[in-house]
Amino acid sequence: MAAVDVVVSGVGVAVSGIAGPDDLLRRTPAGAQGDDPARRLTGKGLRYKDRATRLALCAGRDALADAGLLNDPGLTVPSETVGVVVSSNYGNVDTICDTVSTIAAETYVGLSPMALPATASNVIASWLAIWFRLRGANLTMCNGPTSGLDAVNWGRLLVLAGRVDRVLVVGVEPANAPVRHLVSGGRSNGDDDLRLFDGAAALLLESAAAARDRGVEALAELGPYARKADQPAAVASIRRTDPRPVDMWFGAGAGGPAGMTEQTSYDLTAYHGHCSGALGVLQCVAGTAWLSGHDRGAVLASADGDGSDAAAALLLTAGTRPGPAAGDRR
Amino acid sequence: MTALVVGMGAVASIGGSTVEFFDSLCAGYSGLAELRGFDRSRYRAQHAYEIDDRPGPGRDETLRASRWLEQAVGAALRDAGLDDDLADTPVLVGTTLRELRSVELSWRDGVPFDVRDLHFGTALANRFGATDTHTVANACSASLYTLGLGMDLLDVGAADTVVVAGVDTITESTYGLLDRCYPEAPEQVRPFDRDRRGMLQGEGAVAVVLRREADGPGAGHRHARVRGVAMNCDAYHPSAPDAKSIALVTREAHRRAGIEPADVDLLMLHGTGTALNDEAEAQAVREVFSGVTPSPWMTAIKSMTGHTAGASGLHSLVVAVETLRSGVVPPILGLDNPIDEVEGFRLVREHAELASLRVAQVDSFGFGGLNAVAIVEKVS
Repeated sequence: MAAVDVVVSGVGVAVSGIAGPDDLLRRTPAGAQGDDPARRLTGKGLRYKDRATRLALCAGRDALADAGLLNDPGLTVPSETVGVVVSSNYGNVDTICDTVSTIAAETYVGLSPMALPATASNVIASWLAIWFRLRGANLTMCNGPTSGLDAVNWGRLLVLAGRVDRVLVVGVEPANAPVRHLVSGGRSNGDDDLRLFDGAAALLLESAAAARDRGVEALAELGPYARKADQPAAVASIRRTDPRPVDMWFGAGAGGPAGMTEQTSYDLTAYHGHCSGALGVLQCVAGTAWLSGHDRGAVLASADGDGSDAAAALLLTAGTRPGPAAGDRR
Repeated sequence: MTALVVGMGAVASIGGSTVEFFDSLCAGYSGLAELRGFDRSRYRAQHAYEIDDRPGPGRDETLRASRWLEQAVGAALRDAGLDDDLADTPVLVGTTLRELRSVELSWRDGVPFDVRDLHFGTALANRFGATDTHTVANACSASLYTLGLGMDLLDVGAADTVVVAGVDTITESTYGLLDRCYPEAPEQVRPFDRDRRGMLQGEGAVAVVLRREADGPGAGHRHARVRGVAMNCDAYHPSAPDAKSIALVTREAHRRAGIEPADVDLLMLHGTGTALNDEAEAQAVREVFSGVTPSPWMTAIKSMTGHTAGASGLHSLVVAVETLRSGVVPPILGLDNPIDEVEGFRLVREHAELASLRVAQVDSFGFGGLNAVAIVEKVS
């Protein structure tokens, strides 16, 4: 499956109190006092867009700009060469819940027709496509706790299969009362210690050849990915495919890579709360930021599944590969 | 690369198995009925194409979509000669509304619902031991998109067998908002008719097992060959379709399949019975099939299944496969006065047609300008 190398050529993040991807490496909680990142985009085009969509547009714009793809206006590459993959489990839960509440109180007559697109869970990906004119294949993964890492792998697959040259991958979750209800099984009223992530992270994935042709730097390279019944199985699968030492682990729970210390392990949820579908993309953005500060090395991102159906893991590396692979390439 | 459809399963208002489903369509039997699970006093529209399996009239329950998905996947696996242990076999599930009906019941009525059941991996892990599962929320083109993704997994060698599926249940939020948007409440889905008023939701699930043709069907059947799937995005409007983009994705599907428009014998239209879809789709068909006479045979099953949303693309594909095999093309119900845009199209109306067919095109479009078109071929 590695006939084409897929690299990260841009990153972006929209989280309160986090100025940019490098800030994710500071082990401090997301700033409660920080500005609302969704306010970084303005304009009447934002009317009727839900919070998840606004957050995704902010992070997505930063990743596209970081990858050198934004012109003013439009893109520096043909629009059909860019795909979109969004990961979000709770993005449109507020629209669904608000709508049934209105129907119960006022019948269908009380509804605003403008809410219709957001009843479908792909609304974020569809606004990203419209806003930035991205006409390639467009996917929305709502795949539970592993969804973010799954989305990164689907972005790679769209490139490997030759459907697009590059993909904007966005992980996003909003924090609001319906999400709190859903996540807590109806038990949380907001006064407890359930901390929900409210933000977005974005990666621009690109075939190494396409990035080279545009003369942009590969910030990181995608290694193997696995989705398995639990974290030990997912991590073991990665280690079998690519046994190089892991320098940094973004993850938590049992079954991570061996030999990690407090300094080389980083659980983003400890600082940013329950990240759900945003987690994997947030980990990859943080991992890319880490690799950017090092000439070589490997970062493992994993989602232990949070008691759910499965766990996933993905390896990110600096552009150069030590050992036999490098020899093969002379 | 081409793939074989080696197993199929389908569930809808008109039947609980592939055979029942196809026979109902050929007989012109519709799943249309008055709303069963919602409080009807809250809506102007009163009809839908629901599966009649609720605990009682006006009473709804959680996890119906998961149940039908398990039923369809189980049937497809049996048909493919596979056992119920999926392990690492990828399962891609296309859906518009996931288990959001369960979320509605939890939020409004306090019915217990575990957030882990919001995506379908949990149900598939419990029932089939599946670990490589993916819930793809790609609106009403979702399951045909999963067909394209499944083909890609086979093509790059990431899997030898892939299960692609679709499922959707009716939700009050979507039903209410559609009711709010249409000038008049639809009483039935009437694709391409002048008097169409919009779409009504349908319920159902579908699953298809795929293998690379070069590897043979394994323990399954050679139901049909998938020659290619194209998918794109209009990047134009959150709900309205774009005829130009539909024509583009159709041409791309033909290119991937290595066929010309004149090779298409059967066209499974998306045909939702909304003003916008039917016009845009007809315009795109007219553009791509210009000069092809007679036109391919065309039909639109939503006139009997309702709009089964995320399941609808693969529902149409299952019908295409059965039609290629049997030579029976189901009719479009309720098409009394076709719109001008379809003049000259060989639309099957009133009753099923018998025809000898080799190549079928399946259309599937969704909110967000998501388009997918598949080309399937009879295996002789």
